[in-house]
Amino acid sequence: MSVVGAGVIWVALLGPVIVLFDHISGSAIASALTQPGALQPVATSLESGLVTLGVLAFICTPLSWMLARGKLPFPRVWEAGVLCSLLLPPLVIGLLLIFMVGPYTPIGEILSDLHQNATNTFLALVIAEVYESAPYYVLGAQAAFASVEPRLEQQAGLLGDRPGRVFRRVTLPLAAPGLAMSLSIAWARAMGAFGAVIIIAYHPYGIPLEIYTTLQETGLPFALPYALVLLVVALPLPLAAYIWSARAARRRSG
Amino acid sequence: MLHADVQVDRREFTVQAALQVAPGERLALFGPSGAGKTTLLETIAGLVQPRRGLISVNGRVLTSTDPPVRAVPPWQRRVGLLRQNPGLFPHLSVRDNLRYAPSVPRSGTELSSLASVLGIADLLPAMPARLSGGQAHRVALGRLLLAHCDVLLLDEPYTGLDASLRRTLTDLVSTLVAERGVPTVLVTHELTDAQAFADRLAVLDHGELLQAGAPDDVVLRPSSRRVAELIGYRGFVPAAAPGSGDQAVAGVHPERVIQGSWPDRGLVLTGVVAAARPAGAGWEADVRVGDALITCRLPDRPPDPGGEAVVTVLDPPYFGADGGALPAVAVTPASRAQIRP
Repeated sequence: MSVVGAGVIWVALLGPVIVLFDHISGSAIASALTQPGALQPVATSLESGLVTLGVLAFICTPLSWMLARGKLPFPRVWEAGVLCSLLLPPLVIGLLLIFMVGPYTPIGEILSDLHQNATNTFLALVIAEVYESAPYYVLGAQAAFASVEPRLEQQAGLLGDRPGRVFRRVTLPLAAPGLAMSLSIAWARAMGAFGAVIIIAYHPYGIPLEIYTTLQETGLPFALPYALVLLVVALPLPLAAYIWSARAARRRSG
Repeated sequence: MLHADVQVDRREFTVQAALQVAPGERLALFGPSGAGKTTLLETIAGLVQPRRGLISVNGRVLTSTDPPVRAVPPWQRRVGLLRQNPGLFPHLSVRDNLRYAPSVPRSGTELSSLASVLGIADLLPAMPARLSGGQAHRVALGRLLLAHCDVLLLDEPYTGLDASLRRTLTDLVSTLVAERGVPTVLVTHELTDAQAFADRLAVLDHGELLQAGAPDDVVLRPSSRRVAELIGYRGFVPAAAPGSGDQAVAGVHPERVIQGSWPDRGLVLTGVVAAARPAGAGWEADVRVGDALITCRLPDRPPDPGGEAVVTVLDPPYFGADGGALPAVAVTPASRAQIRP
């Protein structure tokens, strides 16, 4: 009985995906994607997503490590800050980003001196995706680092490794499965980023905005193929990370 | 030669100790939980910063709070620390764990010969999760020895393993460190482990080094009543000090008591059996002597509770009113001959 109950809940949660496959046909996808310029949003989303991942890995990994190891004074304040950006509705993030990096702000002026512009550009799209996905990565990476036994790092140090080498040889490999999972969750968030994007980066179109504008202009049947494309683009990385971390765990258990 | 003279602040008290351990010497640091033993080891390893102190190994200063101030970081100290948790890296095979330290020679001949001495040669390709507790400890020990540390610190490494495995591992460490001439400090709260391992025994209590010496001397001639209590003396009986005849207390260790009256071998006590119970292959009895209650381990069944017991405490240590030990009067064959009727 309990298995049946769990099954019902599981199917209900999967409902939207099931419905998607029920309402879509190969010919509809083919015709939608062979329209002139139809692949441009896919390319834009992939490019901005990859840049976003790079920024997160480069900037947020050290922060997560410091949070996990209690290297920061008043750790609760730092965590609350990260949670704050997680709890802000994306639409609000978009509005506030205009006031932060828009053309008539100090940051905007610096950017314009550099011949850059953070509204309706690729840069704006990346900024919006970073803000929508960063907290997921930071919190996940913090948990991944926290799961690494500090005594192991200490032991590696006593065996003669300086801190940088300890991080590379012990901390990073042990945290890697968790880091990969949080990075792929951040990827899925970045791929689907919409609320902040529609305000600060209406152009260039990524997949979510393509879905929205197609829905507005030509209706539901034409928007659905892009929904499938979004899933196909957003899901492989999380799935690969999941499989890889499961294999890493199996390898460790001998 | 390891030399450490440090004061380390802890929340409740200050750990204050001076140690010297010669190359190949094995020092056991014995004391109750929370005495500051681990703090002392962590200070030598550079994980804890002392308020004041000087630590040097073979003349190389690792820590100095006096000018020229030095605080060599842990990764440059070449001090090996083995804890109760062997701390193997779970993502590396046994072989990669063994050759983790950057100082391990690349050739691998030392690795394979040490692995066979440690009995882990067949386990080299295995992952740590597959190892038993004893095997993991052998690997951890091998990893430290291959790193060619100048000092080996063992922080209750074998707590939680069964007694025979503990003895095997302790013997193995003793042999290997003696061969390599590495000064070694073992922290333990088990006296028998300390005795089995060490050339020298140091007793630490509440951050203070109370006594250090040959294990026999410390056990048979504790320098104070507090040391005697820590070592396992379980009864203190008022008695006249030998020689001076002053009022003193004699320390009674349960294992240093025999049945019957043997005045030439120690202090004869007459008391009433308060309780008796089987213990191991013999008996353990609580005997009330005046106001004092002593516990004795006896090979023969003692009288039933309420019965009178006459026992001899073999050559007991005596303590003065201040708790300090009184000078021992040697029981020589000549004096025995005089006492004997």
